[in-house]
Amino acid sequence: MSITCLQGGRVIDPVNGVNNIQDLYFQKEKIIAKPSNLDSKIITTIDVSDKIIFPGLVDLRFHLKNITGGQTENILSASHAAAAGGYTSVLLMPDTTPKPDNPGTIQFIQDRILKEACVKFHLCGNLTQDGKGEQLAPLGSLQETGVIAITDCPNTTQNNQIFSKGVEYASMFGLLVIDLPRDISLSKNGSAHDGPLALKMGLGGYPRIAEELYVQRAISIAQSIDTKIHLTSISSKGSVELIKSAKDKGIKISADVTANHLCFNENCITGFNPNFKMSPPIREEIDRLSLVDALLEGTIDCVSTAHNPFQEHEKNVEYDLSPAGVISFETNLSSCYQTLKENKEFCWTKLIKAMSSNPSRILEIDSGNLSIDMPADIAIFDPNIEWEYGSREGVSQATNSPFEKHLFKGKIMQTFVNGKIAFELK
Amino acid sequence: MDISNWTRKSLLGIEELSHNEITQILELAKLFKKETEGDMSNKNYLRGKRMVNLFMEPSTRTRIAFEVAAKSLHADVISVAEQSSSLTKGETLRDTAMNIQALGADAIVLRHSSPGASLFLSKIVDVPIINAGDGAHEHPSQALLDLYTLQDKLGTVEGKKITILGDILFSRVARSNFWALSKMGAEVTLAGPSTLVPKQFESMGARVSHNLEEALQDADAVMLLRIQHERQSSSHFPSLAEYTKVFGLNKDRKQWLKKGALILHPGPVNRGVELDSELADSPQSVILDQVSNGIAVRMAILYLCTMQGATNL
Repeated sequence: MSITCLQGGRVIDPVNGVNNIQDLYFQKEKIIAKPSNLDSKIITTIDVSDKIIFPGLVDLRFHLKNITGGQTENILSASHAAAAGGYTSVLLMPDTTPKPDNPGTIQFIQDRILKEACVKFHLCGNLTQDGKGEQLAPLGSLQETGVIAITDCPNTTQNNQIFSKGVEYASMFGLLVIDLPRDISLSKNGSAHDGPLALKMGLGGYPRIAEELYVQRAISIAQSIDTKIHLTSISSKGSVELIKSAKDKGIKISADVTANHLCFNENCITGFNPNFKMSPPIREEIDRLSLVDALLEGTIDCVSTAHNPFQEHEKNVEYDLSPAGVISFETNLSSCYQTLKENKEFCWTKLIKAMSSNPSRILEIDSGNLSIDMPADIAIFDPNIEWEYGSREGVSQATNSPFEKHLFKGKIMQTFVNGKIAFELK
Repeated sequence: MDISNWTRKSLLGIEELSHNEITQILELAKLFKKETEGDMSNKNYLRGKRMVNLFMEPSTRTRIAFEVAAKSLHADVISVAEQSSSLTKGETLRDTAMNIQALGADAIVLRHSSPGASLFLSKIVDVPIINAGDGAHEHPSQALLDLYTLQDKLGTVEGKKITILGDILFSRVARSNFWALSKMGAEVTLAGPSTLVPKQFESMGARVSHNLEEALQDADAVMLLRIQHERQSSSHFPSLAEYTKVFGLNKDRKQWLKKGALILHPGPVNRGVELDSELADSPQSVILDQVSNGIAVRMAILYLCTMQGATNL
């Protein structure tokens, strides 16, 4: 059976402590050791010298409105966009139509995924029914049908009793709870960071404390129940400090940040461009710097995409009426690399840890490292390619990206999922 | 009058204007004000131009003033209110505006509840957009007529102390006035309860005060803003009565004002809430001057934006 050799690239495999120029072999869907008898006839060699090779990226938060497609993103286009960004496993948030809130629908969604997706889709169920925060969802049944985590994201369960009981109930099944920390009463009309800029622009503010109160809530609940909670899309310096302190105490909290929050500060909304409107909002430079430091020192575990496609007529309206969310799959790694490489603490091992190994560990899925016998989920990145992102030329069917016409250096060349090419740069 | 160096097609806000541009508008307004005192029947400055008033929020003063201003310049005026437009049928602002453009509008005057709505529209259509209020962001024509009124009464605002009192947080008038006054050299104090006047306004360069007496003394003029109780949740202040008790400007507090200090209000006035009738109707009050000056100022804005440097004055 044919063996593929990725030859001469820099292999980054944080779990196995690898950061060397070496060859990587896989056969069928598995990574294999260097064969003892190399027969050139059965080896396909791909020259990847000057490229970076790492385990395929793993995303903890992405949205897809309509499972069956429609005019915007569908499973097929989202999975191709993910592959183009080096992703091999992605976690689908439950705000889809239809909702994954019963075994029949979950089976239907899984069938569609099997038919259409070129990367691995994992399903996240709702913590409460319909994500409304009122009544717990049937978590045990959801897990039986293949849900690997639960969340109400993009909503946040406001009722503390329901949330804490939900976390406790989920812990019985070993189900990870993902929480988007947000106090709605403090941020209901907030379409921008609550600071001097929003004040000047006349926009409703979404203050840091709306997030930080709920970060503290998650920490206290995780501590009292002694279970894991993952906080998604952290945006403020105060949240970073709370998470750091909780981790120092051994509380089982993990967190992610989006690439957008690492790359931009609040000034990006000066022109009322809805493609910079996200939830939580992009905050001040002091927050951005804190998030970058926290990622590089490990307080924040992962980078998520929060990929959230909208149709142009939905998104490109008056700023405050525009829904929050942007697409990110195709730009996430390049934008993170561009921003983080300027930091003296940057190294590829930390970035791949944050974008592959850590999310795999948190989700307890079979990816995030290049050990022998692991699925051959591999991405190849050329750090020297200069390119301009144009959403209309992109793979995603949506165009709501904040990186329109942005110049990047560094791009995904090839992505393998189970040893098969899921993306190849033409 | 030389307006050849006016290059703006749209008037979206005061923040983006220079001292020179503000002066140009006010000088032209002065000219128009003088002309309106005489016979305007042969002043066909904007004859053949079609102006559309697109008002997505209720307005009396601003909408009528723009209409009167346009008609005084012999432009054709069409007024569209949200209730009578296809927006109630689900049409987006983008589509409505593009249709209005296709129907031959030469300028659109837009009032909308979304901050940045005028900027948004200016990127979609080719015709000049005149911002008649976009959410809590800006209301440039109001600030310009306030500035006109102040300059008319005080000679200049440079070095003068102006206090803007009331609901600053939700007020586009306060923001535009702050930019206009500070660009022209006035010292601006924003005053009111801490929940409606956050300290963060200091980052724009304003002085912030939560003490009425302190905010009123030394002021050459005080501009009161309507308490928009329909916009505020109960968390911003307990009640109108409480607001009036702590921040209402009444006969007793008049003594805190400097002698001759002017009283302005963009209207509509909540009499007995932010301002007592006795003061609203006193000789210090220039509230009705503001309204009549508003016509000349809007004539100047319409003229400059639609003619864009060309002149037939």
